[in-house]
Amino acid sequence: MSIRLEHLSKSYRHYRSGWDRARALFHSSMQSSERQVLAPLTLDIGRGEVVGLIGVNGAGKSTLLKLIAGTLRPSTGVATHEGRLCALLELGAGFHPEMTGRENIHLAAAVGGQKSADTERLFDSIVDFAGLRAVIDQPVKTYSSGMMMRLAFSVATAVDPDILILDETLSVGDGVFARKSFERIMGFKEAGKTILFCSHSMYQVQAICNRALWLDQGHLRMDGDPVEVIAAYNEFMENQNAQAGSEGLALPRQGVSASSSGKEQLTRLRAVEVSVDDVSGTRLAVKSGQSEVSIHVAYASDAGGHAPCVAVMLVSASGRPVASASTLNDRVSLRRDVRGNGEVWLRFARFPLLQGCYWIHVFLLSEQGLMVLDKARMVAELVVSQETLEQGVVTLPHLWSDSMPGIVTSPQG
Amino acid sequence: MNHDGRSFFSRVFKTYSAPFLTLIDHRNLVYRLLRREVVSRTSGTWLGGLWLVAQPALQMGAFWFLLDFVLKVRSPGQVAFLDYFLTAMLAWLFISEVLSRSLNVLSEFSPIYQRTVFPVQVLPLVPLLMGVMIYLPVMGGVVWLLAGWQAAVSSQWLLVMLAVWLIPFCYLLALLGLFFRESRQVFPFLLTLLMYLSPVLYQPEALPPGLRSLMIWNPIADWLSVIQYAVHGLPMEPVQAWGLGALWMLLLPPAWVVFRRAESQMREEL
Repeated sequence: MSIRLEHLSKSYRHYRSGWDRARALFHSSMQSSERQVLAPLTLDIGRGEVVGLIGVNGAGKSTLLKLIAGTLRPSTGVATHEGRLCALLELGAGFHPEMTGRENIHLAAAVGGQKSADTERLFDSIVDFAGLRAVIDQPVKTYSSGMMMRLAFSVATAVDPDILILDETLSVGDGVFARKSFERIMGFKEAGKTILFCSHSMYQVQAICNRALWLDQGHLRMDGDPVEVIAAYNEFMENQNAQAGSEGLALPRQGVSASSSGKEQLTRLRAVEVSVDDVSGTRLAVKSGQSEVSIHVAYASDAGGHAPCVAVMLVSASGRPVASASTLNDRVSLRRDVRGNGEVWLRFARFPLLQGCYWIHVFLLSEQGLMVLDKARMVAELVVSQETLEQGVVTLPHLWSDSMPGIVTSPQG
Repeated sequence: MNHDGRSFFSRVFKTYSAPFLTLIDHRNLVYRLLRREVVSRTSGTWLGGLWLVAQPALQMGAFWFLLDFVLKVRSPGQVAFLDYFLTAMLAWLFISEVLSRSLNVLSEFSPIYQRTVFPVQVLPLVPLLMGVMIYLPVMGGVVWLLAGWQAAVSSQWLLVMLAVWLIPFCYLLALLGLFFRESRQVFPFLLTLLMYLSPVLYQPEALPPGLRSLMIWNPIADWLSVIQYAVHGLPMEPVQAWGLGALWMLLLPPAWVVFRRAESQMREEL
């Protein structure tokens, strides 16, 4: 067993004043308002398991990770683990802008509990992984935020942990380094390390984990196979959205390269264009079963690296995924020019979705499809109408027959 | 009974040794935090870390120039007033710097200990060690000029002992500064008051007898007496040294225990 939680819970107490808080050190019965953020939880996580924590903000995911990592003390119960634990909860904690990269490596390593000799031994590999050898003796205040993150990540993951805990982020930095950091974490997975991470990306949880925990308001709602847990979570979220009346249309619309935060990165979406029956636009009328929907995606990538994958997702107005297609699943190899630029078209002939409004999201993924390199959400809205009385979301290819095979009626012709 | 007795003494011994063991166990971290302090306080300057020592040294030089050359202060007594004053003032500057920095140390480092697995108990020791690093050479240098090298060595030993004696106060003040924010506003005033109540700017015999008895309740006055005795051979009652030791013995265990108890609240406080 790698991690064992026994009746682990966490409550935050709020005192009226510092005086009350100080008195509480001596009288546990001191009056305070208490807020439970994690209900008593008992579970075991085996060696080599990759566990994804999902749940809305405030569900208790980060609290649970901090309790296991030891940065928070539980209110009840215990969390025990076997082997060396490395927690990436806050990259760069303790970095001082006036100190050089070299000094900050030693400081961050000491704050992270590394021995001086270990830091000395790992120093070169830390610097090389971060790609900062040329500037390692300059104050980190001269570094960009991306360089700072690279250094912090490199220090934090330089040791060989048995258990890796990641809060929210599976990769850091920009472009090439994001891939490197992701590959390092995947390397831990392949080496049979236990990994715990929380993420809002169901895609990543499903792609990477072999177990998922769904936390809701501090309670463990579900523990099991990621596919089942995510399906239940998505259904829950849809119901929540419906109850709150917060339809997907209220979501902020994002264009191409929304994830790049204005920074130039090597692998990114350059343009996305959606057209219906040769008419382009961002709000398009579609006739179910008749119109042809075409999506054109242009991208840039690192010419020296692997070609990325392109994925398109259709989501309902409430945000629920309805259908998707990716070059990875369809085993389509993308062709690029010498500079790494490429483009691809996806066509849905006789658009099979039934009446309703649908949004199109486009993703640029790493070659294994595990890491989102860039994304463009809600690039176009499809307003689908139909002439028939068919019910549901999609028309499936189907065949009718009576008892005699071969006599068929098919609306698909 | 015997077993309980051993266990009790073992716990007491552990409590007294805990701050020292903390320093040994986390020496690498403490060293890095001290370096961080030096850089924070002197970054961008030409002399760098030397300024930390140069500042109090220059201050002493200014006092010497003002009192001896400009004001030509002379007072009857066993020791020249200037010698008495500079020795007492150096010890006072050390004490006030350590105590003021201890009050703020938990707030200053909260970004680190609230986000990492961090031994919070090392933090109150950082301003203390920083103070020792700064004042040990200055004290040695100034006392050497005033009273010779033997007195200089004695004064440095006493400064180290004073630092050890301040440990419980550092832990208690660190908690005070975290839980009672007002204390940070009031503390400079209290420190000034304490300085006037301690024989820094005057020699104890200059006080009226009625006020002199109040010194019994001021341990800083006792420390200054011990230092003046070691450096200038001024009279001192042995009970003063014993009293300081007893106070330390009384304060260290509760200060340590309360600090450790408060750790989980510290991580959630700010």
